[in-house]
Amino acid sequence: MFRFGKRKDKETKKLVKEEVVLTEERKEDLLRMIHLKKERVNQIVGEEQSKVYEEIGLAFNELGEEDNAIDAFEKSIQAKKSVGDGYKTLLKLYNKKRAEAAKANDGASLQLYLKKMDQMMQVSKDVTRGV
Amino acid sequence: MDVVNFIIQNILTQASITVALIAMLGLILQKKSLGQVISGSLKTLLGFMVLSAGSSIIVGSLTYFGKIFTEGFHMQGIIPSIEAINGQAMNELGLGRDIALTFLAIFIFNIIIARFTKWKYIFLTGQAILWMATMTTVFGYAAGLRGVALILVGGFIGGIFAVAMPAIAQPFVRKITGMDEIALGHFCTVGYVFEAGVAKLFGEKGEKKKSVEDLKLPSQLEFLQDTYLSLMVVMVPLYIITAAFAGEGYASTLSGSTNYIMFAFLQSIQFVVGVYVLLAGVRLLLGEIVPAFRGIAMRLVPNAVPALDCPVLFPYSPNAVIVGFITTTIGSVIAMFVLPTFGLAMILPGILTNFFAGGTAGIFGNLTGGRRGAIIGGIFHGFFITLLPALLVTIFNTMGFVNATATDVDTVTAALLYAWLIGPILKAF
Repeated sequence: MFRFGKRKDKETKKLVKEEVVLTEERKEDLLRMIHLKKERVNQIVGEEQSKVYEEIGLAFNELGEEDNAIDAFEKSIQAKKSVGDGYKTLLKLYNKKRAEAAKANDGASLQLYLKKMDQMMQVSKDVTRGV
Repeated sequence: MDVVNFIIQNILTQASITVALIAMLGLILQKKSLGQVISGSLKTLLGFMVLSAGSSIIVGSLTYFGKIFTEGFHMQGIIPSIEAINGQAMNELGLGRDIALTFLAIFIFNIIIARFTKWKYIFLTGQAILWMATMTTVFGYAAGLRGVALILVGGFIGGIFAVAMPAIAQPFVRKITGMDEIALGHFCTVGYVFEAGVAKLFGEKGEKKKSVEDLKLPSQLEFLQDTYLSLMVVMVPLYIITAAFAGEGYASTLSGSTNYIMFAFLQSIQFVVGVYVLLAGVRLLLGEIVPAFRGIAMRLVPNAVPALDCPVLFPYSPNAVIVGFITTTIGSVIAMFVLPTFGLAMILPGILTNFFAGGTAGIFGNLTGGRRGAIIGGIFHGFFITLLPALLVTIFNTMGFVNATATDVDTVTAALLYAWLIGPILKAF
């Protein structure tokens, strides 16, 4: 009834594995954008600041600079909680870091990222309930 | 010999001490420092005692409510609260030690199943596992299981649920989130799949399917901002109206020199206080055990897929959460009035379950049946999650539980598995 079949599994896996290759031009655009936004971000507060940090995070993520992306997304949530693309990407990145820590047998990092994922659940609850 | 007898009779019979000792053993096995072992064990002990205190408060309030409800409406009015069930099972029924050990057994079976099968789900919602351990222990006990068998069977069934529920939800979760690395770990999954099925059947199809996300709805449910406040918003009128129906003559016999309506008001707040205290105890109790388990599980299971609590899906379909909450509430109110006509107890709507389970179910309904699917599916879901706990009431009553029934439908399904399958099989042999 819901087409649980394996064919679907394969389709999704293929979908997940597709990676976009970044052109030099796009890379430069992103770096320029990050530079401009970083200059602006300290002059604004609240929701606007959160939005700009989110954009910086998404740009870093596209560049594959995961730690910088995480840092920007965390600042975005700190400025104002939201559950947009930044939130979704951050949860994905935390989970990736969690998996890497597990593979490296790094107990401290593992606990850190599991805790951060818990906090993300709280953010989602808070935003939905308007806290 | 006297020392051994003293230990057996006075220490190991105390569930709180046994639970603290289990935590201590876990901490020692993890090679924690002496300070961490002592503080961790004491926190677990404290957690258990706080949980017990919360349970006593809830039982006091529920006993009062049960009396005025029966007097006012001439039937049994049951409050759906898994916290109340857990508290009573741990304390009044003396199953605390067995529940704690089953809780650990579920973790272990979850790791074993995920390690050796293709289903790599590790259930990370500790509180939900405690509710599952409560239900498998209570219903295992009712089916006649005792000791090691009670714990192992409970751990095995709970472990299967901890892997199977995220696995069943995953085809939907994958479509909702667009990824496969994270799963849903919430023991209301039977209800979600039920709603998805109903929505598929009655909802919009193909190109006609319109998502609720295209609607303009208030983005936030501000009246639900605080868990305890929203619980109060429901409990206060519930108690006061019931006291009014019971009448001054009867209600005054319970309220002493206090006005009977005022007393009902205070008792409703007492219920919320009880839940508050009990959950604070649960947090303390699980604070030491759960992180340890997660760390072990993630390292023992390569490519583990973390199954997270239901808010993981909220960001992907916020409107569906609101629609799901409202329609589930409508369904549960319909069920409240319909079920007694079939000879079942009246189950009062549970606001928190309606929000979390209803909201998540709304996302499933919207996925498979669009707007119409989410609305019709939500109402059916509300009815369904009220019907299932209603089926348990007789057993709870026989066991001595006061005026409460369980909520999360997967735990109810596990309970029904014991009541309808395991119990009769055991009795046959």
